[in-house]
Amino acid sequence: MKNDNKSDQPAKESTTEEATGIVDPKITRRTFLKGSAAVSAGAMAPMYLAGISKSFAAKSGAVKIGHIEDLSGNLAVYGVQKDHAAQLAVSEINAGLTLKGGPVGSGGLGAMSNHATSAPVMGNGDKDLKVVDDGGKLSASGMAFVEDEDVLVDSGESGILGREVELLNTDGQSNNNIWQQLTKKLIQEDKVDCLVAGFTSAEREAIRPIVDQFKQLYIYTNQYEGGVADSNTFCTGAICEQQVIPVVDYMIQKFGPRVYTIAADYNFGQLTAAWTRAFAPQVGGEIIGEEFVPLSVSDFTTSIAKVQAAKPDWVFTLLVGSNQSNYYPQAAATGLKYPMASTVNMAQGYEHRRFKAPSLNRMYNCVNYIEEVPTARNRAFVKRWYKMFPDDPYIGQMAQNTYFSIHMYAKAARIAGTTDQEEVKRALESGLHIEAPEGTVFMEPSTHHCSHYIRLATADADHNVSFVREWPSIQPWWLQRLGVNLVKHKEYKQYIPDEDPFFKS
Amino acid sequence: METDALALSLTYQFGTNAAFLFLAALGLIVILGMMNIINLAHGELMMMGAYVATITHNQLGLPFPLAVIVSFFAVAVFGAILELLIVRRFYGRELGALVVTWGISLILGQGTLLVFGPFMPAIKIPGGSYSYGGFSYSAYWLILIAISIALIAGLYWLYRYTNYGLQARATMQNAEMAKALGVPTNRVYLLTFSLGAGLAGLSGALLAPTSTIAPFMGQQFVAPAFITVVVGGAANVISGAVGSSVLLSAIKTPIGMAYGAFLGTVALLIASLIIIRIMPDGISAAIQKLMDRRRTRKTK
Repeated sequence: MKNDNKSDQPAKESTTEEATGIVDPKITRRTFLKGSAAVSAGAMAPMYLAGISKSFAAKSGAVKIGHIEDLSGNLAVYGVQKDHAAQLAVSEINAGLTLKGGPVGSGGLGAMSNHATSAPVMGNGDKDLKVVDDGGKLSASGMAFVEDEDVLVDSGESGILGREVELLNTDGQSNNNIWQQLTKKLIQEDKVDCLVAGFTSAEREAIRPIVDQFKQLYIYTNQYEGGVADSNTFCTGAICEQQVIPVVDYMIQKFGPRVYTIAADYNFGQLTAAWTRAFAPQVGGEIIGEEFVPLSVSDFTTSIAKVQAAKPDWVFTLLVGSNQSNYYPQAAATGLKYPMASTVNMAQGYEHRRFKAPSLNRMYNCVNYIEEVPTARNRAFVKRWYKMFPDDPYIGQMAQNTYFSIHMYAKAARIAGTTDQEEVKRALESGLHIEAPEGTVFMEPSTHHCSHYIRLATADADHNVSFVREWPSIQPWWLQRLGVNLVKHKEYKQYIPDEDPFFKS
Repeated sequence: METDALALSLTYQFGTNAAFLFLAALGLIVILGMMNIINLAHGELMMMGAYVATITHNQLGLPFPLAVIVSFFAVAVFGAILELLIVRRFYGRELGALVVTWGISLILGQGTLLVFGPFMPAIKIPGGSYSYGGFSYSAYWLILIAISIALIAGLYWLYRYTNYGLQARATMQNAEMAKALGVPTNRVYLLTFSLGAGLAGLSGALLAPTSTIAPFMGQQFVAPAFITVVVGGAANVISGAVGSSVLLSAIKTPIGMAYGAFLGTVALLIASLIIIRIMPDGISAAIQKLMDRRRTRKTK
């Protein structure tokens, strides 16, 4: 079914064939899929593509992308970044630009690129962590690490299918009721072609029933606790198996087995802590204390004393919102010197820029993006961003997710040849990859989650960021493990760790 | 040794929790406690204080104590303008004042977001830390506890021993009568509101190093501030606020230490409920009654 659908489509991204050396312009996507990875798709768009697109333009108005983020309230620090990311992506799409990438099939990323004989190694022991060696001379097998200098290329048309893209960006005001109202308005009144929205898991769960009621194509771009298996929802942020497992493993190896978790008291914090509880014993760790802090709490004196009473080897901080980031300066002022790990801090709320050093000293976080990612393509992205928003303080992980997600939507709509939502969902399930500023991202069809380029970032006493390890592609495997296959079976739920025997200890 | 350290840590936590409640409530003690204006812009006035301190300290290079004093005056002037233009029209109309101050808080919060963006770089917490028996203590919080005590003494002196204090108490008790006796009540209202705003700015500046400098940072202080003032009661606002912050901290600290921040907050809320149920006029009224009874017993 899926394959038939694909072979029906004209080879709109035939540029990929050219880039990979196959020149027959009539070649179908299916034959192309057998070919190789589309590492540099869209590099040289042929002129006829723009010609085809113009006929669409005559038929209908703008392609509408609905966007909800918190531009005010406790969560505005993240929402404003994501709003700017959406604006940047839409302006690029309208200017005729796209990120490289294309379908690579359901098997995942191909490997037709330069390879190193061994994996690149960062640093020399614990020293000189900012240097990556080149992994030795090139060979035909090994791990891909050579990257394109820049990933933004011509799409061959302005907008999507010749239609201008209109961004309907709204403010959820950090209030779940307003989120629900806005979702209904965007779907029913504005009839958006794609909804991109959501910071907290509470916000996502507030609007997901509405999304499902109207079968709205919905992209959730936040890092979160994982588990959403929803036929209408595509999750482009990193999840626990991509963030918790690598960082907990590293911290236990490096600092010791005694872990103290301090987490925000709602579904994200509770479920991420459950992952930690389940995984830590597998690598010899032990959770010696756990505290869940309400989002309204901003005075951490007692929590800090509890950490000191427990004497952990390191502290896992899963704190959310501007009230809770007070923990860092307060802990530093009290003289708390434990190493810390997190999945949210630094990469989202740029605590290492906001708070005076050394509040974030020895903070470790496995991120899929952070403004400091040391690659040429990211530097180009950062430059484009600050050209459009010169006064912005930081580009966080979620902002990058929103940015590539909207570009990914544009690609999927071009593959589908229409903005019909069911068709675009099928196209997003075609095994699509995109070259994001973080690195290569692959939309895994069966779970609607992405593989990510994960880097372990850490801040030193002066709040300089360096990268101690990296994993070029970590799959979103947990829902696969539970047997979720959204391509074959429709589902509309969120799995929680309790449903997996792995978590029963 | 272990129990010594734990006891000392609990005492310190008790002090910081009480100082936090008292500082959060400081401006509201005057505005809600004395003038009976339900000031929902209280948090935003504290936010303004924090912003003034951050800008003068980080960008103009003023030493932090001086920046705190500048914040007091800056927010006091802003409070005076607010009183002259808006608040003055709502005396005696509690619900009108509630809605109008809520509107002011929205405008201030969102306006700050538009002008200064979602965050300001933080102020480094002054002072180091001390440690004893596995626990450590922030020097700055110890200073804040001392400043809180000094502020209590200062406010008490202002309202007990100065001419303004006398006039203010007279005006709040019976404005018509005070006016008839020649008290310039309009001026007293202006000064009192301005003082309340200035004190909110002062505590916002003092708490700024311990918190995130953001447009909506004030909201975190609003709930504790109202709880502290309402539990304290209006009979004598200063002793009431001191009494309630001490009592609430004495309940929150041990429960928070034993069962975590969540149950600590729950305990604080339940305690406030019970206190308001038993003493509907707040702690200060209960203290006053007790003292009156003693006095009458003595005279007998």
